[in-house]
Amino acid sequence: MKLQTKYNRATITATIAVLLIASIIYYFFLRYALINQIDEALRVEEVEIYHLIQLHDTLPAESHFRDQRIEFKEVSIPEKRRFISKEVFNPLDNKMENGRQLIFPVHVKRQHYTSIVTKSQSEAEHLLLLILVITTVVILLLLAILFILNRLLLKKMWKPFHSTLSAMNEFNLSNPTPIVFEKSPIDEFNALNAAWTQTTQKINQDYESLKTFADNASHEMQTPVAVINAKLDLLIQDHQITEKSMHHVQAMYHAVDKLTKLNQSLLLITKIEHNQFKEKRTINIRAVLKERLSHLEELIHSKDLKVTTNFKESTVMMHHVLADILVNNLLVNAIRHNIHNGHMIIVTSPHSVKISNSGEGTGLDSTIIFNRFEKSNSSDGMGLGLAIVKQICDLYQFPIQYSFQNGLHSFEVLYR
Amino acid sequence: MKILVIEDEVELSRSIVTYLKGEQYICEVAENFYTALKKIDSFEYDCILLDITLPDGDGLKILGELKADNKTDGVIIISARNSINDRITGLNLGADDYLAKPFHLSELSARIAAIIRRRRFTGQNKIVFNEISIDTVSREVTVHETIMELTKKEYQLLLYFIVNKGKVISKNAISQHLWGDDMNAQDNADIIYTHIKNLRKKLHEARSGDYLKAVYGMGYKFTDS
Repeated sequence: MKLQTKYNRATITATIAVLLIASIIYYFFLRYALINQIDEALRVEEVEIYHLIQLHDTLPAESHFRDQRIEFKEVSIPEKRRFISKEVFNPLDNKMENGRQLIFPVHVKRQHYTSIVTKSQSEAEHLLLLILVITTVVILLLLAILFILNRLLLKKMWKPFHSTLSAMNEFNLSNPTPIVFEKSPIDEFNALNAAWTQTTQKINQDYESLKTFADNASHEMQTPVAVINAKLDLLIQDHQITEKSMHHVQAMYHAVDKLTKLNQSLLLITKIEHNQFKEKRTINIRAVLKERLSHLEELIHSKDLKVTTNFKESTVMMHHVLADILVNNLLVNAIRHNIHNGHMIIVTSPHSVKISNSGEGTGLDSTIIFNRFEKSNSSDGMGLGLAIVKQICDLYQFPIQYSFQNGLHSFEVLYR
Repeated sequence: MKILVIEDEVELSRSIVTYLKGEQYICEVAENFYTALKKIDSFEYDCILLDITLPDGDGLKILGELKADNKTDGVIIISARNSINDRITGLNLGADDYLAKPFHLSELSARIAAIIRRRRFTGQNKIVFNEISIDTVSREVTVHETIMELTKKEYQLLLYFIVNKGKVISKNAISQHLWGDDMNAQDNADIIYTHIKNLRKKLHEARSGDYLKAVYGMGYKFTDS
């Protein structure tokens, strides 16, 4: 729920409740006051009737005015004096209406009478209704203004927050354009922006220094590795070296080779992350595939793989080195994880390239297959080949899909 | 033939010197920018190995210096940086070759030999090893005056062996020489074996001596001793 909605809901509910209760109380007070006023008038009439009886010792004339009627009834026992509210007939409007009566006993010439003075309540009721209508209108107006004001005011007040939010959403580590926040008249938002600016600067700095570190570390590592490599090259020239020692040297060569490749892969990843492959040109994927296939021909041959190709014209805009690496890694992957006498199927369409290979085992987990250093147990690689493929695809926003069907592992890269 | 090794990592330059010594090269070492400048100013070298990341100066400036003095020394850049851009910058500035660290000494030796060959006068492109003769321009191999039919890889392999004659060359070095960095030596082990087998067979059929010796399954050596 939005903050604004929640706030509006709370304030408006409270306002409505208070106004409702206040209105009810107001109504009853007003009604009480008005009836009291009528009763007062009735009481004046009563005094007047007593006075007239005292003066003339006879009943005054009954009257039947619209708003006031006076009647007398002969009774044997005097009735108790009381006020009552009652529906009375209004001959003028020819309808029943609320009235107020004062019933009191009078005594004229030893005869008991009940005197009934009736006053119409309709005037008072009209007044009450009018007051109520006005009050209601005022309340509704007040609510509407409150609601609109809240909305507009809050919307305006939250504007800097939303601009901050969208700026944060656009924050991208690999594209470190500094975030510019709008200056807000609200202190809280300025504090938020300041905190964010500081945080993002720190993140950018950390990321930058991490990248530089990885880059430098990889480069610095090359020279010691070169020394080891050179020393091994010298060591194997030694005539006195035994066969057993040679096996150790062989293992060291492999380790150094792996280390070198690992380093090269990490450097490549850093370079892609650094966006150092900016230049783009139209690449004919078919030609790249053919060139890489001929390069890998012996490797394919050594595993007796059957290669089926279905090449349609296929071009893509990208850096030529990355295109080579992308294709090469996918092909090497399809060869390395293939079985002896297995097969490879390479299909290109104008907007995609799909490389499928037979292999041991069942389908792989497509959620982790592109992770760095993720590799099958039997793999002799480093687990960076597909990570680099993914990195290149991400750079150009090409979707890449892995699927496993009919014993074939397939990787498909889509491009526009 | 005189070689200057400009490299600040002592152990690396020492290894290079040790390896090259056996091949009739006279090696000098410069460990920093200043010494290197002094040396190239005073002497002529057939080949200069240049590490461009020196502690006290940009190695690329040495290239500029050579160019300014109209020197024709061959230059191989050896660098820890292996990007296309660094490569292109180095070659544009007049380097003859670019070798990324780490490299095999046999590879370095082959590159040096190639540069020295290229810088010699024409008609000197023949490499001779007993009855085997390789013309590096026409890429023809003759044994006892008969031309051998070799595949591209077999030719590369034979040239590599002869340039590094008498030295044990590891399978890793062979793999890197034939296919470059983008393949694993382990992946290529069988293929290397096949190429060696074929090359040996062809040499044998051409009635050449049996010079190609396997060394404990870890590498090969081309030698007549």
